[in-house]
Amino acid sequence: MTILRTTLSLLLTAQAAGLAGSEEKPLPRELPPYGAERPIPALNLAQRTLPNGLTVWIESRPGFPRVTAFLAVRGGNAADPAEQRGTAGLMAGLLNEGTTTRTSKQIAEELQALGGELAAWAGPDAVFLSGSALSHRLPTLLNLLADVARRPTFPAKEVELAKANTLQSLQAQEAQPSFQANRAFNVALFGSHPYSFSSITPETVNAATPDSLRALHAARFQPNQAVLVLSGDLQVERAFKAIGEAFGDWQATGEGPKPLLSAPATCQRAFVLIPRPGSVQSTVRVGRPTVAATHEDYVPLQLANVILGGSFSSRIVRNIREEKGYTYSPGARASGLQVGGSYSIRADVRTEVTAASLMEIFYEMDRMGTTSVGEEELQSAKHYMGGTFLFQNQMQQALVGTLATYWVNGLKPGALSDFIPKVNKVTAEEVRRIGRTYFAAKDQTIVVVGDEAKAKLELEQFGPVRVQAR
Amino acid sequence: MRLGFLPCFLLGAALLAGPSETKLPAWKVPLEVKTLPNGLTVVVSEDHSLPTVGISMVYRVGMRLEPKGRTGFAHLFEHMMFEGTPVAPKGVFDRVIQGGGGINNGSTRYDYTNYIESAPVSALEPILWLEADRLKALDFSAKNLKNQQEVVKEEIRLNVKNRPYGSWWLDLPAAAYTRWETSHDGYGSFEDLDRADLKDVEAFHRTYYTPSNAVLGIAGDVKPAEAFALVEKYFGALPTRPKPAVPDLKEPLGTAEVRQVKTDPLARVPALAVAWKVMTRGSRDHAPAAVLAELLAGGDASRIYLGLVKGKELLLEVSGGLNFPLGNAWDFDGQTMFGLFSLYKPNADADKVLAGLDEIIANVATQGVPAAELERTKTKMLSDFYSGLEIPLYRADALAKAQSLWGSAAQLNEIPRLIEGVTSEDLKRVAVTYLTRANRTVIDYHLAPVKP
Repeated sequence: MTILRTTLSLLLTAQAAGLAGSEEKPLPRELPPYGAERPIPALNLAQRTLPNGLTVWIESRPGFPRVTAFLAVRGGNAADPAEQRGTAGLMAGLLNEGTTTRTSKQIAEELQALGGELAAWAGPDAVFLSGSALSHRLPTLLNLLADVARRPTFPAKEVELAKANTLQSLQAQEAQPSFQANRAFNVALFGSHPYSFSSITPETVNAATPDSLRALHAARFQPNQAVLVLSGDLQVERAFKAIGEAFGDWQATGEGPKPLLSAPATCQRAFVLIPRPGSVQSTVRVGRPTVAATHEDYVPLQLANVILGGSFSSRIVRNIREEKGYTYSPGARASGLQVGGSYSIRADVRTEVTAASLMEIFYEMDRMGTTSVGEEELQSAKHYMGGTFLFQNQMQQALVGTLATYWVNGLKPGALSDFIPKVNKVTAEEVRRIGRTYFAAKDQTIVVVGDEAKAKLELEQFGPVRVQAR
Repeated sequence: MRLGFLPCFLLGAALLAGPSETKLPAWKVPLEVKTLPNGLTVVVSEDHSLPTVGISMVYRVGMRLEPKGRTGFAHLFEHMMFEGTPVAPKGVFDRVIQGGGGINNGSTRYDYTNYIESAPVSALEPILWLEADRLKALDFSAKNLKNQQEVVKEEIRLNVKNRPYGSWWLDLPAAAYTRWETSHDGYGSFEDLDRADLKDVEAFHRTYYTPSNAVLGIAGDVKPAEAFALVEKYFGALPTRPKPAVPDLKEPLGTAEVRQVKTDPLARVPALAVAWKVMTRGSRDHAPAAVLAELLAGGDASRIYLGLVKGKELLLEVSGGLNFPLGNAWDFDGQTMFGLFSLYKPNADADKVLAGLDEIIANVATQGVPAAELERTKTKMLSDFYSGLEIPLYRADALAKAQSLWGSAAQLNEIPRLIEGVTSEDLKRVAVTYLTRANRTVIDYHLAPVKP
């Protein structure tokens, strides 16, 4: 076992001076300065690899009486064959619907008795299982988690119900503009690469059988292709003992999924319109493919995103919400996966300001590459990233989720401690380079879900519009 | 306000001594409470595990107290609280909090409006200054009001008008209650929102945004004495006005079922919303109703999930609870509802779903609940209750709401005992009293006919 000890610090010491930067109006004289920074306690992660290859990371956090466990198994929806894409998600959803020793109902009732929850789903690169419980019930939680991960039976009746419900859920989701927008956006960005996947199709649902799900599970769930991350009020050695009992005799029976080819790094500029009768808003997506979570640009891209659209004080939010009143909930996200990533700006705007909103978004995107960010804005974004990173990782669920995702993406747990120092090293010139490289308006794809006639006229102000059903 | 809980306390304390509960963790939120001479009550909960703080400023005014004929005004006003003050113009608030590594938000509910921040502890002092500053006065600017009228209308388009069943949580109280205060659309009609003017904003601020009507919760890496001193420094000199009276708005239980059918042109799958008016906050039926709601609708082991999603396979999905969806079983005042929202399947219709619900309710009402099921339902509630207090922000907010709505932050730590004290007989009584057909409101959302 090795123990990783690293001290984190937000390094916010110069912030009061930073806030008095030149490009913004002065702050009120009476406003008190920020206080002294306090160091963040060291991450104290215990790491061990079981003889069967299962990686285990444990972060003890005494006091608050709950524990969370996250199991990630390599190979998600993107690892499914093209014509069966999304079957991993269907399989994941059925893990807690019956095992060799428990029925679906018994699993639900046992979890309830632990004060617990257990969910399973598939991302592009992995299948995730997340369980939580009152801390004194950790051994039972691990036993249940191991049972659903290792011995699911995919009972015929449960598979039938899940298939019927998935088909109807798809129908229900078709009514949501965000669902339609995300689907078209992913396809526009990633083309035939598996990252273009956003939702299972009815054909794929219909083709699934208990046998095909069992086979997929057997192929994917290998201990040497998995990580188990725990956090909460626990004793590390006792937790390792309980993990050994629940997962120790899990044996590998095959290879993990083949690595994916790199995802596209660029896309064609296009204006895509998905007609939605009765829409009173245009649901807008603007973005492009970017880089994987391990790429050196990933952290600077996150920081540049805070400045452009990823925070309330960001340029796009201030512009199209606080100045123009075009929208309630604009936002932006830089997402990094194992072999690629994407940048996306989203906004729901009233139909008649669709073009006006896009014009402002394009302006703000281009400005990131053509002018340098001021010192106050840069420092503020760094503090915001540090603070929100700390905020999220206060929560057990977020901490173990972050760590498990690091493992999937090929990052070491130390990346958690390195994140804030890396953010703090980014310069204004680097932000501008990121802007030029990833935010130029001419390189973005635009997807709009909305009123066909009105939104088309709005979009045609920028060029040809591709109208497509989905 | 505390008295309503007393019988439950005693019962809870007696049960806690029993052997079966000894294994459950008995975790409590530390807290200290102080009221300033101007009436501002401050609740502080220390936790030094990470250098962060959570802050929640709760005002005892919500949708139920907005001016008559001004639907959506309390929420529009909440937006105006972020639009600057005479001293700190628009933009300063977010700039200072973001620059300090923090996040912030606000929300408007039936009985309260809260403003929350979470940040590294180094930003505590500027944040307290900002909260005091906007309690003192706002920048009553026509330009900013116009801007936020547009933003709020976009919010309503996004959350109500452009999504299927977007109005269900507004439709239920509209159908179930008769008083304007409890039945009106708290998000607001566009006509009313457009009519709001600066005089309304100023009057609302003057009436409800006064120290005596506010509670400030602070949790995290700060000692209570330090926190109280900072609050004294920034809020102590604020003048006070009397705390506005809270009218009694409760209505009798229903005497005849209210049932409506609505056509939703955006929906592709039909839906059913059902609600029952229930007891008032702090009554002896409160904790039993909370436990019953969990037993019926709280996740994959609940009776409605097992009976109608599984079992009869009538529902595609269902969610629900006490005070659902605008809060949890504890953060309300006055009267609330036990509400359910479900999508139903092609083989189902409203009558079949309601018959299924009636059967499930009748079973509890006549048979009670087996001890093991009751026990694990309570364990899950306890665990969820703890989850809701995991980080300083949640603690500050829950404590401030308990102080504002219940008159006692310390009551928060009594919730585990209130839950523990609930018996099978209590559940029978509550099912018989409230979950009746006569007291039920049902809204059935049909699809628009397909155009040829």
